[in-house]
Amino acid sequence: MIRRPIPHWLAITLGVCGVVVMLLAYSFLSARQTGKNENQKVIPGWQTFKQGASRLVRPQGRTDSPKPSMLVTDIKATYWRLFLGVSVGVGLSITMGVAMGAYRFIESLLAPVMSFLAKIPPTAMLPIYFVLVGTDQKMFTAMVALGVFFTMSQSIYQAIAGEVKTVAIDKAYTLGASDAEIIYEVIWKQILPSVLDNIRLQIGPAMIFLLAAEMLVGGEGMGFRIRMESRVLDMSVVYIYLAILGFTGLMADYFLLWLRRKLCPWCIR
Amino acid sequence: MYSLEIRDLHHYYGDFRVLNAINLKILPGQIVALVGPSGCGKSTLLQAILGTHPPSEGVILADGKPVTKPSRDVGIVYQHYSLYDFLTAEENVAFGLKLDETNLPSRIFSFKKYNQLRKQHLNKSRDFLVKVGLEAAAGRYPAELSGGMRQRVAIAQAFVLKPKIVLLDEPFGALDETTRQELQMMLLRFYQENLKARQRGEQPEYTIIIVTHELNEAIYVADRVIGLSRYHTQGDKGAMIVYDRPCPVFAPDDPKDLSKIVEQREELRKAVFDETYMKEHSKYVSFWRELALDSQKAQDAESKNAG
Repeated sequence: MIRRPIPHWLAITLGVCGVVVMLLAYSFLSARQTGKNENQKVIPGWQTFKQGASRLVRPQGRTDSPKPSMLVTDIKATYWRLFLGVSVGVGLSITMGVAMGAYRFIESLLAPVMSFLAKIPPTAMLPIYFVLVGTDQKMFTAMVALGVFFTMSQSIYQAIAGEVKTVAIDKAYTLGASDAEIIYEVIWKQILPSVLDNIRLQIGPAMIFLLAAEMLVGGEGMGFRIRMESRVLDMSVVYIYLAILGFTGLMADYFLLWLRRKLCPWCIR
Repeated sequence: MYSLEIRDLHHYYGDFRVLNAINLKILPGQIVALVGPSGCGKSTLLQAILGTHPPSEGVILADGKPVTKPSRDVGIVYQHYSLYDFLTAEENVAFGLKLDETNLPSRIFSFKKYNQLRKQHLNKSRDFLVKVGLEAAAGRYPAELSGGMRQRVAIAQAFVLKPKIVLLDEPFGALDETTRQELQMMLLRFYQENLKARQRGEQPEYTIIIVTHELNEAIYVADRVIGLSRYHTQGDKGAMIVYDRPCPVFAPDDPKDLSKIVEQREELRKAVFDETYMKEHSKYVSFWRELALDSQKAQDAESKNAG
C-alpha cells in the first residue's frame, strides 16, 4: 500500500542491500570486461583500483625533495576553491537578498537585472571569466561565487517575500524595533532555515561549475585530474575521485542538516 | 490626558471617501469594542491608529503625541499572525522588552550588562505568562501551542511593554467557543485590575480597542461600544461613528447574564447594521453625556449621604 510505514530494521537492511547490490553489479561488469581484455582499465577490477590508489598517494617529484601526492594536491586545490567560492557567493547573496527583500527601492532597481543574469548558465560564462580574471585562484573563486550568487540571492529575496509577513514587521515596530533590528531580529531569524537549505542546494551546482572550469584550465584539482586520466582511458583514478566527490557531498549535506537542527530548533519541516 | 484622541479624521482611497469626520477620545483604562458592517472602514481606522497607513486628513494622538508611524505607544494583536515562530513563548513576550530597552550595539558591546538585563526580561515575561495562565508553556515554540495559547502569548507580548493603548483585531475570531470564553474572561480580569488601579489613584494599565464581529462579545468584554457605519443620512460621504454608548460591566466570575446584553445588542443591530434605518449620525453617540450624567448622579448621591 502506498506510504504504509515499514519497520526500522527493514529500512536499514534494505539500505545496506542497495549498497551491496551496487558493489556486486560493478564487480560483475568489471569481471566480464576483464574476460574480454585482460589489461582493460575502463571498468577496472578491485586489483587495478589498488594500483590506481597507490599511484595517487605516492609522493611526487624527486626522491630527495618529495612533493605532496596527487591526491593531496588535488583535494586541497578543489575543496579550497569550492570553500572560498561558496563562502564569498553565500556572503554576497545574503547581503543582496536581504537588501532586496527589505527595501523596495533596491528591489525595484535590481530584481530585473538579477533575474536575467540568473538565467545565464555560469558554465557558458566561463570564457568571460578567463578573459576578465585570468585562470588562477581568483578565477575559480569568482566563477563559483557568481554562479551561486545570482540564483541564491534570488531565492533569499523570495524567501523573505514569502516567509516574512508585513504584519510581523509592523508588529516589531510596535514593540520598539529599529530598522536594523527588524533586519537582524525578525527577517534574518525567520529566513535562516531557508538560507541553510539554499546553501545545501547550491553546493551541487557550485561543484558543477568548479569541475567544469578545472577540466578546461588549471594544472591541479580533481576536475583536471579526472580529465587527464580519462584521456589515457585509466578509470581507476577517475572512479576513486568520483567516490570522494560523492562522499564529501553527502557529508556536507548531513552537516548542513545538523546545523539547521541546531540553529533553528523551532523549524521542524 | 486621553490615551487616544482622534481629531477630524478623513480617509480617501482615490476619490472614494471611506472615513468621514471621525472624532474619538478614549480614557486610560477603557475597553472599547469597535463594531461595524464588513467593508465599513474598521481596518482602515485601525491601521491609521497603528500608524502603518496614516489618514488622508486629521490628527491621531496617543497620550498627546501624534501618531505618524508604528511605535511602542500603540500595541497590536492580530487574528492570525500573532507570534514570532523562532522565539519560545517567554522569548516572544520578552521580545518587546529587548527591542525597547536595548539596541544592537549595546547587545554586542556590553554583553555582560545585556545578559543581566536579559534575565530580568525573561523573569518579567514569565510573570506575565503566569497572569495569562500559561506558565507551563513558557519554553515552547508557537508551532507547539494551540490557537488559544498563542493568542494569550500575543496578548502578553503586547501588554508587557505597557503601551498607551492596545488594538485587538478580531483576536478570538479563529478560536473555538470554549477557548473564546476563557480569553474573554481574561479581558474582564484586566478590566478589574483597571478598576482597582483607579481606586488606588493610579493610572490603569490596560486600555484596549477590540474589533469584533460578535456583538455579544463586544458588549460582554467592553465597557463602551463604538459602531462605525455608512448607514446614516450622510452615508454617501463615508462611514462615521454612529454609535457610542457605555455598556454593562461584567465581573469575570459572574454568570454571563444575557438579558443585560440582549437589549443593547438589538439597539446596536438597528443603529449600526440596518441598511434601511436612516438616522442622524449622532443619534446614538452619547457616551460622554451619559458619563457626565452618571458622575453627576454619583456626586448627588454622595452629597446626600454626607448630608
